[in-house]
Amino acid sequence: MTCSLELALDRAEGALLRVLGTIERRGWNVVAVNAATHADAYAVRVTLDGARDAQILCRQLERLVDVRQVRLVGADEAARCA
Amino acid sequence: MDGGGDKQATGSGAAAAEPAASLPRTGAQHLLDALQAEGVDTIFGYPGGAIMPVYDALVDSTLKHILVRHEQGAALAADGYARASGRVGVCMATSGPGATNLLTGLANAYLDSVPMIAITGQVPTSLMGTDAFQEVDVFGMSLPVVKHSYIVRRAEDVYAVVREAFAIAREGRPGPVLIDLPKDVANARAVARAVRRVTRAAPSPHELRFAEARALLSHAKKPLLYVGGGVGIGNAERELREFARLTGIPAVSTLKGLGACDPDEAHYLGMLGMHGNPAANYAVQECDLLIVAGARFDDRATGRLASFAPEARVIHLDADPAEIGKLRACDVGLVGDLRDLLPRLVHPVAIRAWQRRCRVLKQQHAWRYDAPGEGIYAPALLKQLSEAGGNRLIVASDVGQHQMWVAQHWRVPYTAAHLSSGGLGTMGYGLPAAIGAQLARPGSTVVCVSGDGSIMMNVQELATLRRYGIPVKIVLLDNSSLGMVRQWQELFFEKRYSEVDLSDNPDFAEVARAFGIPAFAIERRDEVEGAVQRLLREPGPLFCHVKIDARENVWPLVPPGKSNGEMMGCAA
Repeated sequence: MTCSLELALDRAEGALLRVLGTIERRGWNVVAVNAATHADAYAVRVTLDGARDAQILCRQLERLVDVRQVRLVGADEAARCA
Repeated sequence: MDGGGDKQATGSGAAAAEPAASLPRTGAQHLLDALQAEGVDTIFGYPGGAIMPVYDALVDSTLKHILVRHEQGAALAADGYARASGRVGVCMATSGPGATNLLTGLANAYLDSVPMIAITGQVPTSLMGTDAFQEVDVFGMSLPVVKHSYIVRRAEDVYAVVREAFAIAREGRPGPVLIDLPKDVANARAVARAVRRVTRAAPSPHELRFAEARALLSHAKKPLLYVGGGVGIGNAERELREFARLTGIPAVSTLKGLGACDPDEAHYLGMLGMHGNPAANYAVQECDLLIVAGARFDDRATGRLASFAPEARVIHLDADPAEIGKLRACDVGLVGDLRDLLPRLVHPVAIRAWQRRCRVLKQQHAWRYDAPGEGIYAPALLKQLSEAGGNRLIVASDVGQHQMWVAQHWRVPYTAAHLSSGGLGTMGYGLPAAIGAQLARPGSTVVCVSGDGSIMMNVQELATLRRYGIPVKIVLLDNSSLGMVRQWQELFFEKRYSEVDLSDNPDFAEVARAFGIPAFAIERRDEVEGAVQRLLREPGPLFCHVKIDARENVWPLVPPGKSNGEMMGCAA
């Protein structure tokens, strides 16, 4: 099942590595990544594929110090956020 | 689940911490200034090329540096210091192999949520990325096992980064933070910038969630407290014990939760899980409501997760929102400071029949110490030593069969009195952790219980004991084998023993004496009392080599993939 995350990160050394590493270590496959810089932040959209609860992944990402905000988006959002 | 929220919305107040000096100082001096501003008194470390500017600045500092004999010893000693004191442990190493040797200690602290700062030297910024001598990307290597990490690239940032790192290590669910400091940054002079760290406010669940939780308590006939390491880490022992006392709800503990409950409380059933007390495991399987306080449904605690507490509704209390629902769905999740959550959950319950049932289980499955033979029965020795030493003892356990015997039979009066590598299971943890604990708590008697496999993993730290006269007592339970692996090969691999024989061990008492540590050996049951008295009486470091039967196993045992109700070595 695929879903997408929109993240706002501090533009800090390692921020992107931390996010992508957490996603893969927690059992998800990264399907697509789009990242851009805006002033002091990264705006990142990641499309994922996996069988686990995406809400749990969101909370695991939210606790990273560089992560300002995580939003679960996409077609599966309603089912996974229920 | 409730209590989470947007980070920016919960941010409140910048930490008011100004640099110590407005004059230009070196990055190394800023580092030590920040450590002192954080109240650090002890650093565990080992010098080398890239960290030399920091060691040079140390010459003019009042900070106490403990020179270990391997960087892993520094990280694990900082871990023991942190657990025993409740403060942030600090360790330090040079670049390359020094940094990689810290990694096991970082992973150990990460998995057990221990607040720690690890400082590594790094090659100069101009050489980073060129495969320079003693260059490794420790920032990248450590990403999965740190709460956060920094490479400091400007001397003006050093002071603020260190202060921020301490706040991160401590707040919420604690953990290790790595600071990688390139040599040119440590040498450069700058005026420190101000600290800008925004602290995160602890979440507080809505009252509605508590009402839901209390409704579950009202309807429960067989509620049970499942207590984890988060209680000790969150300084919530008093609130946990008060909750248990006011409600009378029986309790079980994880390995890391030991000491959170009063060990003498009538409704406390001991440790659950793979080597838990049968009473605790049966109570979990029978309960209809689990109140999970600072625990995370670790596989060693739950056995087969699908059949863990199969009849139970779940109220899950934790500081970390990412633990709620991670492995077991809960009916009510309460995220926040356990000191606030537990008192708000107190609610009258009518559970006399359940209390009686738990008391019966406890009596039926009380540990027995009447092992046949004249050899030393390790569980009896550990019980005798812990009861003779009482509340002044802190035990630092290594990893293996002896670790489980300590968990089962040592009387743990409070959480910081029991140091054990729960998440990572790091053989070699015991001795350096005991060193850290003894320096943090000089008024306590720290006992390291180790095995003949584990002791050799960090045996070099006997030299640290000797150098500083640290009065740790070492009890080495020697079964001439890698006992836990041997036990599993016996039970689950058709006795096909593979690389577990250590019958060619050195004479451990002679090894200790070679390091300058007084030592003695015992092997008969009638020698135990004298050994216990000697361990508790002698003021300095002491090494007690205990020879035990190699065939002894840890019971009970929940086989892999089985439910906690299916224990080997236990009559139902």
